[in-house]
Amino acid sequence: MNTKATMIQNSEYTISDISPELMRGPQWLRDLRNKAREDFNQAPLPRRGLHLWRYTDPGKFMYELNDASDTTYGDNYDVVEKIERHHVDEGTLAGLVTDLGGREIKRYGTEALAEKGVIIMPLSEAIEKQHDLVEKYLYQAISSQTGKFEAMNGALWNDGIFVYVPNGQVIEQPLHLLREAGMENSATFPRLLVVVGKNAGLTLVDEYGGGSMDEDKGISFVNGAVEIFGLAESKVRYVSLQRQTSATNSYLTHRAQIEQGASMLTIPLVFGGSLCKQNFGVRLNGAGAHSDIYGLLFGSMRQHFDNHTLHHHAHGSTSSNIDFKVVLKDRAQSAYTGLIRIENGARNCEAYQENRNLLLNPGTKAQTIPELEILNEDVSCSHGATLGSIDQESLFYLQARGIAKNEAVRMIVSGFVTTTLNRVPVDLRERIETFVAQRLEGI
Amino acid sequence: MAGSLERQNKDLSSLNQDYAVKYGFHDPVDYFHKGAKGINHEVVEMISRMKKEPKWMTEKRHEALDIFYSKPTPTWGDTKILSEIDYDNIYYFMKPIEQQQNSWDDVPEYIKKTFDRLGIPEAEKSFLGGVSAQYESEVVYHSMREDLKKLGIIFLDMDSGLREHEELVHQYFGTVIPSTDNKYAALNTAVWSGGSFIYVPPGVEVKVPLQAYFRINAENMGQFERTLIIADKESRVHYIEGCTAPVYSTDSLHSAVVEVRAEESSYIRYTTIQNWSRNIYNLVTKRASVYKNATVEWVDGNLGSRLTMKYPCIQLLGEGARGEILSVAFAGVDQHQDAGAKVIHAAPRTSSRITSKSVSKDNGRASYRGLVKIHKNAEGSKVSVECDALLIGSDARSDTYPTMEIDSEKVRVEHEARVSKVAEEQLFYLTSRGLSEDEARLLIVNGFMEPFTKELPLEYAVELNRLIELEMEGSIG
Repeated sequence: MNTKATMIQNSEYTISDISPELMRGPQWLRDLRNKAREDFNQAPLPRRGLHLWRYTDPGKFMYELNDASDTTYGDNYDVVEKIERHHVDEGTLAGLVTDLGGREIKRYGTEALAEKGVIIMPLSEAIEKQHDLVEKYLYQAISSQTGKFEAMNGALWNDGIFVYVPNGQVIEQPLHLLREAGMENSATFPRLLVVVGKNAGLTLVDEYGGGSMDEDKGISFVNGAVEIFGLAESKVRYVSLQRQTSATNSYLTHRAQIEQGASMLTIPLVFGGSLCKQNFGVRLNGAGAHSDIYGLLFGSMRQHFDNHTLHHHAHGSTSSNIDFKVVLKDRAQSAYTGLIRIENGARNCEAYQENRNLLLNPGTKAQTIPELEILNEDVSCSHGATLGSIDQESLFYLQARGIAKNEAVRMIVSGFVTTTLNRVPVDLRERIETFVAQRLEGI
Repeated sequence: MAGSLERQNKDLSSLNQDYAVKYGFHDPVDYFHKGAKGINHEVVEMISRMKKEPKWMTEKRHEALDIFYSKPTPTWGDTKILSEIDYDNIYYFMKPIEQQQNSWDDVPEYIKKTFDRLGIPEAEKSFLGGVSAQYESEVVYHSMREDLKKLGIIFLDMDSGLREHEELVHQYFGTVIPSTDNKYAALNTAVWSGGSFIYVPPGVEVKVPLQAYFRINAENMGQFERTLIIADKESRVHYIEGCTAPVYSTDSLHSAVVEVRAEESSYIRYTTIQNWSRNIYNLVTKRASVYKNATVEWVDGNLGSRLTMKYPCIQLLGEGARGEILSVAFAGVDQHQDAGAKVIHAAPRTSSRITSKSVSKDNGRASYRGLVKIHKNAEGSKVSVECDALLIGSDARSDTYPTMEIDSEKVRVEHEARVSKVAEEQLFYLTSRGLSEDEARLLIVNGFMEPFTKELPLEYAVELNRLIELEMEGSIG
C-alpha cells in the first residue's frame, strides 16, 4: 500500500483523490469508494460535546495522508504469530489469518475448512472469486453514511478479510485473525466482512496488535470496520481483542446484523492503544434473534478509552443482554455509552444492560451513559451501572484473614473479571488472563 | 372505587375535556399594561422601567438579552418542538392590575374567581403558611401568616423582594444560575417578572409550607417568573408551587429560573406540581447550591405542558451536604416530558439520591435525562439513581439518557433503570379479585406513583391521584 499517513492532525483535511492502487476491482466498488471519499469530505467533523463525542476529541482521528514509505512491523508480532500457528498445529484453532495492514494477508491451516465450503480469503481476492456474495454484503452494515470515520475507512481500506460459512456448516474451533497495525507514522484501515449462513456456526477471534511504541517518533493510526451477517438460525461468536501499543490511536466500528433465530455473542476485550474509540453494534432483524455483548476493559497508564455499544431491536420477539466491565488504574480514563433501542414495530422484546466500573486508584476517571430508547409498550427492559472503588469491607475481610492488601486487591479484581473471561474461547483465555495479571502487577 | 369510576365515566370522557372545565377557562381581561408581542431591548427597558428597578438590574437584563440572542437553540432534547417556538409571537410582559393585593377581598373579581376555581384560598386557609398568586407577569395576591412574619421570615414576590431587600437580591441574584447558563435562563434574566423571594433567618423552622401559584391567562403569553430561596444556617423551609393555563389553540411559553441556596445545616424542600395545559412549552432551569451538612430536596411532578425540558440540579458544595430529587412525569397524548435530574458532587462525603418515575401513555413520550458528576475532591461520596418507566399503549415511548462522570475513586455510584408495561400477572391477580381491567390498571399506576404521592401534602396527593385517575380512564386495550 503506497498511501501512508504523515502524522499531521488536520481537522480540515479532505481526501483529494484515491490512489490508483486502491481504485481497482469492479465499477460498483470503485463507485462506492468514491462515494465514501465524497461523504468523508462533506461530513463535518463531529462536534465535541455532542453524543458519542463528549469525551473524545474527533480531531485525534484525523490524519493527513500522503505517499510515504512502507509500513514496518514490530518484533513482537513474530512471537504472537508463532504462538497462534502453534495453536493451529495443535488443533485448538480452526485456522489463522494474518493481516499486515492490508498489505499482506496470509492463511494458515485453513485447508480443512475450505473442503467444507468455508471461504476465507483476502477481500481483494473475494471480490473476483465470490463477486456476488461480496457485492451483496460489503458496505451494507457500515456505509459511508454511518459516520465520517466510517466513510474514511470506506474510501481508504487497502485490503481486508472475507469469511463465509455456508449454510448448515458449524465450525467448532475458533478462527483467529491477527491484524497488525504499522509502527510509527503509519495509518492502516483494516476491514472485515463475515457472512455466516443459515444454521451455520462460527467463532472468530479478531486480534488487533502492533502500532507505534514511541509517541515522539510518531503515532500509529488505525481505522477499522467490521461487518458481520448472521443469517437465520446461525450462531456467531466474535471476540475482539484490542492490544495495540502505547502510541496508537485506534477507531473501530463493528456492526452485526442477525436474522430470525440467530444468535450472536460479542466479546470486546479492550486493553491496548493510547486512544481507543470503539463502537460495537448488533441489529436484531428477525424473531427469536438474540445477542449478548460481554465486554472487558482494563486500562492503565494514561490510556483513554471510549466505547459504545448498540443493541438495535428492529424486529419483535428479540432479546439482548450486555455486560460491560471496566477496570482502571494509574491515570486511565474510560467512557462508556450503551444504547438499547426498541422500535415501535418490535413488540415483545427483552433487553438488559449492565456496566460496572472498578476504579483502583485516585487519578482514574470513568464516565458511563447507559441509554434506553423504547418506542412501544410490549417490552421488558432494564439497565444498571455502578462506579466505585474496591469494596472496603471485602478488602478488610481478606486482610483480616492474613492476605496482604495488594494480593487481596488482585483477588477481588480477578473475581470481578472472571465471569467475562469464562466466556472467552479456551485457546485465548490464557493470554487474556496474562494481560489482566500484567496490569495487576505493581498494585 | 368502582362507583367513583362509573361516576367519572359518566361525567367526563377524557382528561382534556376536564382540563378545559377545571383549568382551561380564561378570563376576558382589560390589562393594566399589555405590551406588544416580541422581544427586543426596548421591551426589556420598558419592563425594567415600569418596575422602577435599580440600574444594575436593568443592565443585567440587557446583558442577558444579548446572551439570549447569541446562544443557539439546544441541539439536544426535543429539537423538533423547540424549533417551533416563535419568539416574536409571544407577549413578554403583561400587568393585569396596577397594584398587588394582600387581602383576598381586594383582588379584582375576575382574578379572584380564577383562583377560587383553582382552590387557592381554600388551601391557604387549611394548611399553608403563606400564599403568592401570580397572574401573567405579576403577583396579584400575596399574604403570609403574621406569626411567620414575626420570626423574620421573608416571603415576597420577587419584584417586591428586589424593592425591599435590594442588598440580598443583589448579592445572590444570578449566582446559582448565571445568564450564560443556557438560552432560556438568559431569556428569563432579560424579561423576568414575578416569582418568589424567600429568606429564612438562621435557626428558624418554617413549620407550614409556603406556596406560590402560577397562572397564565392570556393567549401567547410568556411567563418568566424568577424565584430565589435562601435558607440561612440551620433553618428549614418547604416551598410548593403549582401552575395551570387555559387551553388555547396557539402555544405559550413558560420559562422560569429558580435559584436555591441552602446554607450550612439548613433544609429546603421544593415541591412542584406542573400541570400546564398542553399548549405550553415549559423550559425551566432549577438549581440549588447546598453547603456543609445542608439538605435540598426537589420534588418535581410533571403532568401538563406540550414539551417540558426541566432538569432540577443540586450542587453539593460543602462537606456532608445531601441532595434528593424525586421526579415523576406523566406523558399523555402528544406530550413530551423531557425531565430529569442533575447532581454535582464537589465536596467530600456528600450524598445524593435520584428517583425518577415516568408513565408514557398513548403516543406520549417521557424521557429521563440526567447527570451525575463527582469531582476529584468529593471522596467518600455516594450516589444512587433509580429510573422506572411504565408504558401504556402500543405507541408510547420512553427514553433514558443518564450521564455519569466520575473523577474520584473512593466513591459509590449506582444507577438502575427499568422500562416495562403493566405486568400481565398483576392485572390477572387484580381482575381475578373482581376489579375491572380499568380499575386494576389504575391501581397499578397509582402504586407505581406512590413513592412520589406520599411525599406530597395530603391535599396535593389527593389531587394528583385524581388527575392520574382521569388520565387512566378508558385506557384499556
